[in-house]
Amino acid sequence: MKKDKQVILTALLILAFAVVPFIVDSEKSYLVYSLFLFFCYIIISQAWNLVAGYTGQISLGQHAFFGLGAYTTALIWLNNITKTGYYFDPVTILLSGLVPATIAAIVGIPLLSRLRGDYFALGTLGMGEIIKVIFVKGGSITGASDGLHLPSSVYSSIRPYYWTGLFLAVFATLLIYLIVRSRTGLALKAIREDETSAAAHGIHVLKYKVLAFSIGAFLAGLCGSLYGIYLFHINPDSVLKLDWTLYPILMCVIGGTGTITGPLLGSFFISTVFSVADIYFVQMHPVMAGILIILVMKFMPKGLIGLTQRKEL
Amino acid sequence: MLEIPNLDIFIQLLINGILFGTMYGIAAIGLSLIFGTMRIMFLAQGSMIILFAYVSYWFFELLGLDPYISLFLIVLIGLGFGAGIYHGLFKGAAAQEDKNISLLIAVGLMFLVENLMTVFWTADPRTISTGYTSLVFRPMGIGIPFNRLMGFIIALFATTGVLLFLKKTYIGIAVRAAAEDMEAVTLLGINPHRVNSVVFAIGTGLAGIAGVELATIYPFDPFFGFIFVLKAMIALAIGGIGNVFGALLGGIILGLLESLSSFFIGGGWSDAVSYGVFLLILMFRPEGLMVRSVKKA
Repeated sequence: MKKDKQVILTALLILAFAVVPFIVDSEKSYLVYSLFLFFCYIIISQAWNLVAGYTGQISLGQHAFFGLGAYTTALIWLNNITKTGYYFDPVTILLSGLVPATIAAIVGIPLLSRLRGDYFALGTLGMGEIIKVIFVKGGSITGASDGLHLPSSVYSSIRPYYWTGLFLAVFATLLIYLIVRSRTGLALKAIREDETSAAAHGIHVLKYKVLAFSIGAFLAGLCGSLYGIYLFHINPDSVLKLDWTLYPILMCVIGGTGTITGPLLGSFFISTVFSVADIYFVQMHPVMAGILIILVMKFMPKGLIGLTQRKEL
Repeated sequence: MLEIPNLDIFIQLLINGILFGTMYGIAAIGLSLIFGTMRIMFLAQGSMIILFAYVSYWFFELLGLDPYISLFLIVLIGLGFGAGIYHGLFKGAAAQEDKNISLLIAVGLMFLVENLMTVFWTADPRTISTGYTSLVFRPMGIGIPFNRLMGFIIALFATTGVLLFLKKTYIGIAVRAAAEDMEAVTLLGINPHRVNSVVFAIGTGLAGIAGVELATIYPFDPFFGFIFVLKAMIALAIGGIGNVFGALLGGIILGLLESLSSFFIGGGWSDAVSYGVFLLILMFRPEGLMVRSVKKA
């Protein structure tokens, strides 16, 4: 019975979010924009949550996949590759997820087979920087440091962004939930707890690690694509900046890593803080982010979820 | 792009690479010491360096203090500041098994310092230009910029100082022992917090030296710090963790790598080359190029 209740509550909550643009004036309201960002944050934090929270591989290269997603969308659009509509075209968005996922699998095999723990984290950081240099130096194909400009005349309302964001956030959370509850999820958690023991129990460690890394990249790419369509101007400074790795880490850690609700709580908390800070003290919001990480880590290292003392799913 | 340069340019590249690389080396020594006892990458090191670069910039602009004189003051400030950071922020987290907590506090600190600097000094690049900024020595026709030479000499002194401290003083020996086995050291009656705070103090003091060097050589802005700490990490990977002189050498190798690759392959690519080397070393020689035996990291 308790489970039914949870499902109904979740559905109601999603519905409530879905009707927000009808209630407030979506074109003028700051609320709709901040909720859109909130959904984006959920997608990338769940992506990082799967890789780091459940599989225990701290990746510092998520921003590279985020950027790859945005660039894939822009390149498909500008070069007219798939001959579909492009603006909120599901094929383009899906491809923008699949390209980073494929690249993650390709670079993930050498990185994950040879590097562990801190070294993996540093390795992914190096990988991210290399990808960034490739885009900055990409000449006319990637538009170098100026980046690519999408035709912004198609923009009419923020509503489609809002709903796509909501849909993708629900999709990401549901995907992670299903993975974690499946056999695969058990294997991932076993790897997190003790890699040697997991291997001894017949888990193909590398295969599962690469899978998790790749799914993480897929979700980050989807989010990058959506954000890229929102920006209309994709350049290395906007979509390949390290914030796209640091923010999800911040949100997962503040909410509680390795849980489904943790990143949701963290994303909500952080996006609220950012929005408030953006309105009242514009320049200060990264400063507040810094102070927040320090405070949370110092006083509640298990994250917000640790306050409720709930057991892991 | 691949032309054969004449010998003069080549030597010039080598010298510039070596002199610039010492700065990476100095930062890498700080990282290495902190990693030794705390087992974390102190990612805020780069932002600390930039912070001290700004402090020396202020000393110069507001008080008219020569950077090489304010260096001593800044090192003192750095030592105190480092110990303060440890006691204020890391003391609780250091005792915990989960190292990610300390790591994330360092990330938070980096964010905080970086953006506070943006608020105070804006994001415009700054540089200190003194009367001798453009001074160049020309022994045998090879140009050696004075400030880079000074940086090199200071770096050598600092490295020797740290080495002597680690070898000769009681607390220095305790630091080395703690890097081997923190638990055993605690059993011997050495206060781990004392060791950690000394390490932080030295790390931040070295950041002060690197900061002053940077301010006199190169234009800097608040966000340069993160790039800097990445470079220091590469230097550390080349030199091997826990090896003070190796870290300096790693920095110099990285400096050479950058100066040569930016000349032969083209400006922006030098970053890709250094990260590529970094990845290769992580994968195939994670103990570093200088170390013969594999130590526990």
